Amino acid sequence: MAVLTRQAPPTQAPVKVRSTLRRSGVGWLFVAPFVVLFAVFYLGPLLVGIGMSFTDMRSTDVADPLAVDVVGVENYLRLMNDAAMRRAAVNTVVFVVTALPLTIGLGLAAAVLLNSGIARLPAAFFRLGYYLPNITSIIGVAVAWKFLLEPQAGLVNRLLELAGIAGPNWLQSESTALPAIIVMTAWRSFGFDMVVLLAALQTIPRELYEAAEVDGAGRWARFHAVTLPALRPVLLFCTVYSSVGFMQFLEEPLVMTGGGPLNSTLSASLAIFDQFGVGNYGYAGAASTVLFTVIVALAVLQLRLGRNR
Amino acid sequence: MNTTTRRAAAGALALATLAAGCGRSADRAPEQAQDVTTGKISGEVTVWAMGEEGKALGAFVKDFESANPGVKVNVTAIGWDVAHDKITAAIAGGATPDVSMIGSTWSGELAKTGALEPTPGNLVDPAAFFPGAWQTVNVNGTAYGVPWYVETRVLYYRTDQAEKAGVEPPATWQEFTAFAEALKEKGGAKDGFQQSYTLGASWQEVLPLIWQAGGEIVTDGKYTFDTPETVTALKQYASMFTRELAPTDVPLNAFPQTFIKGEVGGFFSGPWMIGVLNNDGGPGFAGKFDVAPYPKGPVSGTSFVGGADMAVFKKAANRDAAWSFIKWLSEPKVQAKWYTTVKALPAVQSAWQEPELAADEQLKVFGEQLKDAKTPPPFPTWEQVARVLETELEKLARGRSTPEETAKAIQSQADTIGTGL
Repeated sequence: MAVLTRQAPPTQAPVKVRSTLRRSGVGWLFVAPFVVLFAVFYLGPLLVGIGMSFTDMRSTDVADPLAVDVVGVENYLRLMNDAAMRRAAVNTVVFVVTALPLTIGLGLAAAVLLNSGIARLPAAFFRLGYYLPNITSIIGVAVAWKFLLEPQAGLVNRLLELAGIAGPNWLQSESTALPAIIVMTAWRSFGFDMVVLLAALQTIPRELYEAAEVDGAGRWARFHAVTLPALRPVLLFCTVYSSVGFMQFLEEPLVMTGGGPLNSTLSASLAIFDQFGVGNYGYAGAASTVLFTVIVALAVLQLRLGRNR
Repeated sequence: MNTTTRRAAAGALALATLAAGCGRSADRAPEQAQDVTTGKISGEVTVWAMGEEGKALGAFVKDFESANPGVKVNVTAIGWDVAHDKITAAIAGGATPDVSMIGSTWSGELAKTGALEPTPGNLVDPAAFFPGAWQTVNVNGTAYGVPWYVETRVLYYRTDQAEKAGVEPPATWQEFTAFAEALKEKGGAKDGFQQSYTLGASWQEVLPLIWQAGGEIVTDGKYTFDTPETVTALKQYASMFTRELAPTDVPLNAFPQTFIKGEVGGFFSGPWMIGVLNNDGGPGFAGKFDVAPYPKGPVSGTSFVGGADMAVFKKAANRDAAWSFIKWLSEPKVQAKWYTTVKALPAVQSAWQEPELAADEQLKVFGEQLKDAKTPPPFPTWEQVARVLETELEKLARGRSTPEETAKAIQSQADTIGTGL
């Protein structure tokens, strides 16, 4: 009956429960500031926004926000038939699909170049140089680029002129306005990806490259078979992080084009911003809910795909 | 019934109760204004004001305070860019000031929230103001607030270029087209005339043209854009672009530098541009431009009137003093003195006879134009409809639609939006 004699004394059980309780209580105490802030400033407004999207609320209803009519999914149906909203959705998709690979490609290229061989001092210089735009205010960058892209006096067209090319009126032409903003965004954003990828590159063991070299792998094969697989989790992070940010791009068109010409640079966020601006709260709420859902779905999808492979 | 179903049922019931609690009440009867006693006042008055006016008003109220011992006016200056949101938030939070300056197109929207108090009938005489200015506070027959200052659009042109081209300011639409052509062909304005076509101000270009053609954008409480008069106005507007008398490739915010450099020879805008041009143009530029009234269309030479009003909130802690303050602001002498302070044009007609204003020749043009100037309807949805106008006008300016299509497109969207009243 050794088992019986080894049984724990009955007095110990309540103590254990109490200590667990106390421990989790202390835990809650520590996370309470975050939970409260999150509930008040994120979850609350999010739920209110979603609720608002099913009503016909306008800015004139703020004094008595419950005195509005519930209109069901009417706002969502209107979204589908709104030419400006459709254009904004297309622009946003084009923006993400082009700016994302461009940004990550530039970031990866810069990281690999800086990691391999360039002497110490310039490396620090380039790292700083590439990262600086990222920590500069978007507004400041956008204003500066607006001047660079100015058709007559702008630096870009002046340089093109030297090469004998008549540069277009970048931001006033429907065909070049969005591409110009995409290139600017990639230039501004790739520094972040570069820093993250550079850190990841430095954790790849030298031995792997040496072993690959012994096996006769060339420069490209080593990059393809060693570097890329090792970077996959970080690349996934960069993709999710950047695409969530890019889905919501707003300041660039707001400052540089105001969404024009003819809505060719109108982004989803800018369209929503405009609708809130004219006091159309219910409708703007519906558009934000759609954008929010798409972003969450996109992030989940990317994480799933990244994990499965 | 298991727990889950029961919970779901309870949740659905709660939602249904909430939904039943919502809903708009039936049409409200027009509000009745309460008289106010402005004789004996005391205590503090909180006032919000925007822009340059907000910065200057704090010092300006000293006269009012010394005339009314025991009264203290606290002015908070807020930026124009945040003012609308701040006032809306204050209404939502029930934390409104006693008095606030409001943009002339906001009164309908703010009155609809139920936060503004109707103007007491015994406060001021509506006939003392420019009719267009009083229109900005008149929401369906009830006045909310009092006009404070006004601005109106007139023709600005380069006198040196007009002289070189041998033309005088135009009096009619036909003359205007010839005028713009002369500035471009002979005056040296290589891009012709500045006519806005992008988001921000283009609706202000077209509204006067519609009125000048004899059109009304509102009839019987409904938006009416699809009219022959509107089409006439849109044709006049679009002709400037099709004749290449106005550019459509102006970089954002390049104007008014283009006017100072002489690339465009003229534009329509408000009185604030005199200050902007004198500042940005540098010394000597003041002699290179002048102003003239709007050229007359088929029916009239009506312009657009904007500006700002002063309104009192229902939750005002010091109602009597708040209205007294507004009454003081609309006295002719105070209006004229306010003009010398920030160059805001008096909304009260008799203030224009005061010596501060009567001597200025350029100012007279604005004074004359104000006698024939209108404002868009004080509908809560006006800003939204203005945005529609701008979107459609850009298509028209870039040759993507015809004047007829534009009028139809604006009408159908305005119908969807409704007046919001």
